[in-house]
Amino acid sequence: MATRVKDVQTNVEDLVTARETRAPSRQPLAVPIDQPVTFPLELPESEARLRTPAVGQRATRPDGRLHGLGQTQYIDDITFPHMLHAKILRSEYAHARIVSIDTSEAEKMPGVIATLTGAEVPENSFGPTYQDQPILAYPIARHRGDGVAAVAATTEQFALDALEKIKVEYEPLPAVYDPLEALEEDSPKVHGDTNIYTSKVIKKGDVEAGLAASEHVFERRFSTQMVEHVPLEPHATIASWDGNGRVSIWSSLGRITLGREDLARTLQMPQSRIRLIGTVVGGNFGGKNEITNEPIVALLSKKSRRPVKAIYSRGDEFVSSTIRHPFIMDYTTGVDSEGRILARKIRLVLDGGAYCSWTGTTIGKGSILAPGPYNIDNVLVEAYAVYTNKTTTGAMRGFGAPQVCFAYESQMDDIADALGIDPLEIRLRNGFSENSLSPTGQSLQSVALKESLTQAADRFRWKEWQA
Amino acid sequence: MLVELTVNGESRSANVPPETTLLKMLREHLDLTGAKLGCDVGDCGTCTVIVDGVSVNSCLMLAGRADGCDVTTIEGLATADELHPLQQKFEEHGALQCGFCGPGMLISAKNLLDNNPDPSVFEVRDALAGNLCRCTGYTKIIEAVIEAGEMMGQEQANV
Repeated sequence: MATRVKDVQTNVEDLVTARETRAPSRQPLAVPIDQPVTFPLELPESEARLRTPAVGQRATRPDGRLHGLGQTQYIDDITFPHMLHAKILRSEYAHARIVSIDTSEAEKMPGVIATLTGAEVPENSFGPTYQDQPILAYPIARHRGDGVAAVAATTEQFALDALEKIKVEYEPLPAVYDPLEALEEDSPKVHGDTNIYTSKVIKKGDVEAGLAASEHVFERRFSTQMVEHVPLEPHATIASWDGNGRVSIWSSLGRITLGREDLARTLQMPQSRIRLIGTVVGGNFGGKNEITNEPIVALLSKKSRRPVKAIYSRGDEFVSSTIRHPFIMDYTTGVDSEGRILARKIRLVLDGGAYCSWTGTTIGKGSILAPGPYNIDNVLVEAYAVYTNKTTTGAMRGFGAPQVCFAYESQMDDIADALGIDPLEIRLRNGFSENSLSPTGQSLQSVALKESLTQAADRFRWKEWQA
Repeated sequence: MLVELTVNGESRSANVPPETTLLKMLREHLDLTGAKLGCDVGDCGTCTVIVDGVSVNSCLMLAGRADGCDVTTIEGLATADELHPLQQKFEEHGALQCGFCGPGMLISAKNLLDNNPDPSVFEVRDALAGNLCRCTGYTKIIEAVIEAGEMMGQEQANV
C-alpha cells in the first residue's frame, strides 16, 4: 500500500505527542562547552602587516596569526565521518623479488576494511622525469622504503596491527649501496643494464691544456652525505572516492597540478574526475614535490567506499620520502703563481638511490654551478647519477647547489692556504664581475659578488681577525 | 577508561582506550587540534602542552596519567578580546613560517615566561631546545619571545 504524505505527517505528530507525554524531559548528561576554542574575531591587522610592503621593510605573513593561534588546519586536523586510517608495509629487503603477497589474514583482523597491493594499482609507476618508481613495489622492491602493501582500518592501531599479518614472500637479490661500486660493470643492477641513469657534461676551453700551463695543481675528493628534509608535518593525504566515480584528495603535496597529472596516470582515469586540494603545508623544502601515498589512499578509499587518511610516521618519512643526493666530487684545479684559476676539472657522482625523482634538475644545476662563481677559461664537468638500493633522492633546497658549493669553496681555502694568499683575496681575484661568462657561456648581468664579499668581510671585521 | 582533566580552565572528560596518549585525547576526543603530531617519539616538540605547570611532550604522556591534571594548550592562550603577547610578537616578527611548530613553540615559550618573565637569550634557547623548527632558523622566534616577555612585564607594571 502506498504511503501518503498525510499518513507520514500523522505518524510524526503521533510520535512527538507520545514522546512529550510519556518521556520526562531530560537534561543532557554533560553540558557541552559552548566555546571550546577562544580567539579574537575582529582584531585590527597588526601594525607590521600595514607597513608598505617594500624592500627593507619587515614583512609578516598573512597566515601568521592563524599559526600562532593554532588555528591553521593541516591535513591531520581534518576528519570526515567514517574515515579510515591507512598504513603501509615496507620492504624487508633493500633488493628483492616479491614472490607472493598474502593479505587474507590481515583482512580478518578487527577493524580492517580494505587492503591494497601493487598488482592492484592500474598503472603502477610514476616519476617527474622517468616513471621508474612504483606506487607499491611489485614484483621488485628496490629499497627498504618501498611500500609493498597497504591497509585501511578504522583506527591507526588496527591498521598497524594488521600490517604484521600480511605475509610477503621475498626472493632476495644482490644489492648495491655504494655509488662508486654501482658504476662498475659487474655491480648488481637496480634497473636494466646500467646503473647510470642520467649524465651531464659541461665543456669550456681546453681543460688539459689549462692544467698543463698551471703553476700549481690541486686535487682533492669531497663528499657529502644524504639529508632528509624533516618537514615537521609528515606527508599526509586524505582521499574520498564518491558515488559519482570522482575522487577528492586533500594532500600536503606542493605541486598539485603536476600531482593531478600523475594521479590521472596511475589511477588511469581522466583528470576531470580527480579533485586535488593542496592544503596548508607544514614544511616542504622540496620533499613534497611529487605524489607519494596519494594513489594508495585513493584506491583504498575506492575499495572501502569510505574516506581514508594516511599520515606518514617519522620512520616512513626518513626511509621512504625523498632525500638530498649525496655527492662524491673529484676536483682538480690548476692555478698560476698568483692564485688565478686557469683550469678546473670536475667529476661528480650523484648517489641517486632507487629511483630517479628530481635527479634531472639536481644534476643540471649541480653541474652548471660546480666550477663556482669564478672566471675560469678552461672547464670540464662530468656528472653521473647512479642508482643504488637506498632511499630515493630528489629535490631539496638548492637542487645540488649546496653540495658543489661545499667542494669548490673548500678547495679555494686549500689553494689560498697553500699559496699563502688571504682567503678573501683569492676569491676577489677570481670572482665573477659584470659581464663574466658562466661555465655554460652565459654573460652575467647585475653581478654583485665582489661587493657582497667585501661588505660582508667588513661587517664581520675579517681584516681584524686576520691580524 | 574515563579520563577527567581541566583543559584551558574547563573541566573535560573522555572515555579513551588505555593506550591513548594525551595528545591523541586532546586532538581526537576533545577536538583540540592545535597541538600537532610531528614525530610521535618526543623529539620535535610540536605536541608540547603544559601539564600542572610543566611543559611536556603530550605524545609521550598517556592520557590516563594526565587524569585530574590541569592542562594548557595553544587554544588557551588568546582571549575573545586579545591575543597573548607571545602570539602578537610571533606574528609581528614573522616568527612562524609553515606554522607547524608554532603551537608547541608558543606553549614552551609561555611556560618559560610564566616562570621567568625576563629571560636571557640563553634561557630562551634552553627553554625552546625541545622544539624543532625547520623553516625559520630560530632567530625571529627568540626575538619574539624576548619582546613578549618585555611586553608582559610592562603590562604587569601598568596594572
